[in-house]
Amino acid sequence: MEAAISINKLSKTYKKTEALKSLSLEIPMGEFFGLLGPNGAGKTTLIKTIVGLARPTSGSILVFGQNIQDYPLKTKAVIGLSPQEQNIDRYFTVRKILEFQGGYFGLRHKERRQKAEELLGKFNLTDKVDEEFWKLSGGMQRRVMIARSLMASPKILILDEPTAGIDVEQRHELWDFLKNLNRDGTTIILTTHYIDEAEYLCERVAIIDAGQIVEMGFPKELIKKHCEQYFLVNGEKKKDLMGLTVDQVQVHQGDLEQVFIKLTGKKLESA
Amino acid sequence: MISFFTLLERELYRFGRLAAQTIAPPFVTTALFIVIFGYSLGQKIGAIAGFPYILFILPGLSGMSIITNSFSNSSSSLYMARMDRSIENILVAPISSFRIVLSFVVGGIVRGLTVGIVTMLTAYIMTDLTIHNIPLALLFVILISTIFSALGVIAALWGNDWEHLAAFSTFILAPLSYLGGTFYSIATLPPLWKKVSLSNPMYYMVDGYRSAILGHSDVSLTIALAFSSGLACITFLCAVFLFKKGYRIIV
Repeated sequence: MEAAISINKLSKTYKKTEALKSLSLEIPMGEFFGLLGPNGAGKTTLIKTIVGLARPTSGSILVFGQNIQDYPLKTKAVIGLSPQEQNIDRYFTVRKILEFQGGYFGLRHKERRQKAEELLGKFNLTDKVDEEFWKLSGGMQRRVMIARSLMASPKILILDEPTAGIDVEQRHELWDFLKNLNRDGTTIILTTHYIDEAEYLCERVAIIDAGQIVEMGFPKELIKKHCEQYFLVNGEKKKDLMGLTVDQVQVHQGDLEQVFIKLTGKKLESA
Repeated sequence: MISFFTLLERELYRFGRLAAQTIAPPFVTTALFIVIFGYSLGQKIGAIAGFPYILFILPGLSGMSIITNSFSNSSSSLYMARMDRSIENILVAPISSFRIVLSFVVGGIVRGLTVGIVTMLTAYIMTDLTIHNIPLALLFVILISTIFSALGVIAALWGNDWEHLAAFSTFILAPLSYLGGTFYSIATLPPLWKKVSLSNPMYYMVDGYRSAILGHSDVSLTIALAFSSGLACITFLCAVFLFKKGYRIIV
């Protein structure tokens, strides 16, 4: 399958800080890919480099086979970004924010309005359409940011902490929405601090630490590789269950969080 | 081109919401200058180059308003976009640096034209002004606005806080404006100050604009036009160059 994003020996140095160290990564088209890492690991630098907000010190990034430095406009045209930090005209109305975004990506007036209305409906923002952004609650602002990233129907969607500040119900609605979007062919790259989010949504995850990928694979495989798996029977670890009944047994499978802690030495919530 | 027109629409929407702030100050300033220099002090100063003093300085006053407004429009828009990071959202869109800078500059030109028209209408109502050559006057407004909108883009990229922008206005724009022939004719200056004025780029713009409005100029209209056009190209290309390099916007 063609790679949506292909990163080869990417390095980025800010003055004396090496934010990315010869990082290589390939994300096939249509994949739901997770990036996990503690603060300062290089996740945001990696995202910024992919979308053209940071210049690589060395190495290359190909988007659908095209180098982002040789074809910046073509590659930007297929990427939607919802960043962690707000980068929005705070005094513009929700309608203007979405419609301008469509225009930046070449949508005509009628198309912009239709797409904006469709997304406003999906993100339960229809009654807030004429509100200025700064007047919205944190969760609504986050939903506007995600809706904005979808205005141009991108082939690759990059979501940096998309559910931060969103309540549990809306978080699950967003998960379903993203699952469907991915099922329809959109390649999604997600960074998150919620381990259940990564396990539920991502086909593969990469754990980044100190500018390098320290582990990458399918969540279940990583758990199997890095976590001790056993049955706990009356406080005793056992590998098989011969002759025991269900009520006597606790299962210890491990989870992605344990993989993360083992590889980075940090807890994900505090990372 | 849709992306460019959207950026331009964004610029116009931004300052359209503050229409009163755009239109009222040049109207009030021009009216006050007319009252003070036309009805009061101007009577004592007498005519310059055959024009009552207030008529002589009107093009300069209008030019100063155009300069201030076109500069502040592009500089505050881009600087705010840097501060609230909304510029990052524009940078990740498939729009060339040329078009992004052009949108900021055209936004400044529209504001410059608005201010130019307001000041001239005020003067038309309050004085005996008749504009000598309207198309030429509009051309000078566009050239002056282009130069200072482009400088606004450069200042917004260079500045790291509002004080930097204020310093640009106070220490560069204001001296150049006041010493650019706004209030005087070069013919009345001693030789040294005549040379100083002739080395001030603003002088040629004000003089050309005055020529379009009053039909009188100290230097040749061709020189003023060529100089203003050249400077508009240079400042615009410098702004595009800095933006394309990602100066202080791309790490």
